[in-house]
Amino acid sequence: MASMKCPKCAAPVEFDAGDRFVKCSYCSSQIFIDKAGAGFIYALPFSVTENDAVGIFRRWAAGPTRAKDLDKLAQISSLKKQYFPVYMFKRDVNGMEHVYIEPAASTTLPGLHNLKVPGGDLKIFDDRFDTGGAELVKIDIEMAPYLSSLPGTAKEQALVYFPIWRLDYAFEQRAYVAVISASSGEVFSGDFPKRSSGAYMAVAGLGFLAFLAEGLLAIASPVLAGALMAVTVAGVFGASNYVARRM
Amino acid sequence: MAISVGLNCPACGGAIQVAEGDNVLNCGYCGSLLWAEGDAGVMTVAYRNVQGRDSVLRATEQWWRKGWKARDLREKGKLLECYPIYLPFWSTTTRVAGWICGYEERRHTDREGNVRTERIPMEEMVLNDYRYTSIACDPGDLGIRYLRNVGGEASFADFESIPTFESTTSKDEMIATSKQRALEEARGDANVPHITFERVIAIPKGISRIYYPVWVVRYSYGERMYMATVDGVTGNVLSGRAPGDPLYQSLAVTAGTSIGGLIAAGGLAFGLGAGEGLLALIGLVVGGAVLALTYRFFRHGSEIVEGDFEGKAADMRGKLMKEARRTFRGFHT
Repeated sequence: MASMKCPKCAAPVEFDAGDRFVKCSYCSSQIFIDKAGAGFIYALPFSVTENDAVGIFRRWAAGPTRAKDLDKLAQISSLKKQYFPVYMFKRDVNGMEHVYIEPAASTTLPGLHNLKVPGGDLKIFDDRFDTGGAELVKIDIEMAPYLSSLPGTAKEQALVYFPIWRLDYAFEQRAYVAVISASSGEVFSGDFPKRSSGAYMAVAGLGFLAFLAEGLLAIASPVLAGALMAVTVAGVFGASNYVARRM
Repeated sequence: MAISVGLNCPACGGAIQVAEGDNVLNCGYCGSLLWAEGDAGVMTVAYRNVQGRDSVLRATEQWWRKGWKARDLREKGKLLECYPIYLPFWSTTTRVAGWICGYEERRHTDREGNVRTERIPMEEMVLNDYRYTSIACDPGDLGIRYLRNVGGEASFADFESIPTFESTTSKDEMIATSKQRALEEARGDANVPHITFERVIAIPKGISRIYYPVWVVRYSYGERMYMATVDGVTGNVLSGRAPGDPLYQSLAVTAGTSIGGLIAAGGLAFGLGAGEGLLALIGLVVGGAVLALTYRFFRHGSEIVEGDFEGKAADMRGKLMKEARRTFRGFHT
């Protein structure tokens, strides 16, 4: 919670990030918070712990397009708790509200350049905010150039620190990086070890052709075709089970 | 520049009470009718969370048993944490009114085999209300993009105790997309095959922000961590990720190759035997489609994903429209 002075009685009034109207608890005045001329700094709390982050990474690494057993074989070399800064601008363009998100730090990390403010419980970031030991990524892009280049007039502008886990891992002597949003658990990744579809396609394709041939054969000699089909069913099942488990 | 503005009645100087989204109000002291101008804001509603920890965990465990999820999920799955959040949604009502004129063509064949095309003029009045919802923040990996349920008891009682996700998307963009979608849907509902004239307008009737309670459940399966979300009003599982099972994957592809292969063979045999090339082609296409469907599950079935997640975006729009159609029918003349 941040606070300001009541414009009527000067008593401290507490307000939260989403508030537009607050009531002074001393003089009961209703106060409108005009965010057009000010810059707020918000932060999202970490709702994904270190263990959760590793677990989410392993779940992601076990996904169907990731290299087989990446979840078990990836060697996590470091896991960093960071706050990444993003500017959020709300502008009035010809009577329409538009939201623009721009990075406040230059980065090569995946997922952070086509930015969005992840959903989360925005908190006002002040000296009372507990970062939980997270490293604040340094801001190296100023807000002012954005302000003058964006269309329309300002309604609100804010700097939002969004919580990430930066996870560096190695797989087959190559280093990779994944970023896990500590707000929703979304995994961002640029390059990652991929799994080939070859074995999957081979089993499905060969199985299909075998049944097609046996179906045509069934017209000439149904018994032989039936026997062959039984063998093919067993074969396709065995092969696909092996592929699904091991490849 | 001051960021706070105290509000007083311009007639009597008394303090006035105004809620976000209101613009016409009465002064509580002198009764003057007042008009608030400026940054308009949006009417906000929150639904009361009626689910508890236990019912949410039970719903998740039941969900584990459904579908093609790993058979040992019940034994190996461990529920780790579960907490409620309030997610913001935009909810719009858009009225579409107007006339669509055009014609329908019917073909008649008489006894001599002459084909005659009859044009039936159509004149359809359009007067419908369409309601859409869409999440008002980035849903990240929650797999939720619109509301399935718009009922519930409105109450701000839990608002302080449950973390609230802030709305960060533009309400005006939501109004604009709602208008566009309502027009498309109204055109579809009028069902005039050939349009010669139309005059329809979309009128935004209102937008509100709905805070909807959703429970996030995280659970582990071996060393991996999965998640699911549960509706805080109805108690249904909304979205989630779960481990798949190689057995189901291989059964799927075995069924797909055998059924698909035999359909293709049947089509080829009968089609070519009867000299109907088209029949042979249809057999091949249907067989191939069966194979393609089961192949998809074979290739990607190691993780079962339910809900509106990234990467499933292609069918998202269609789904949203379908949902809107089913849930929110206004009146039809």
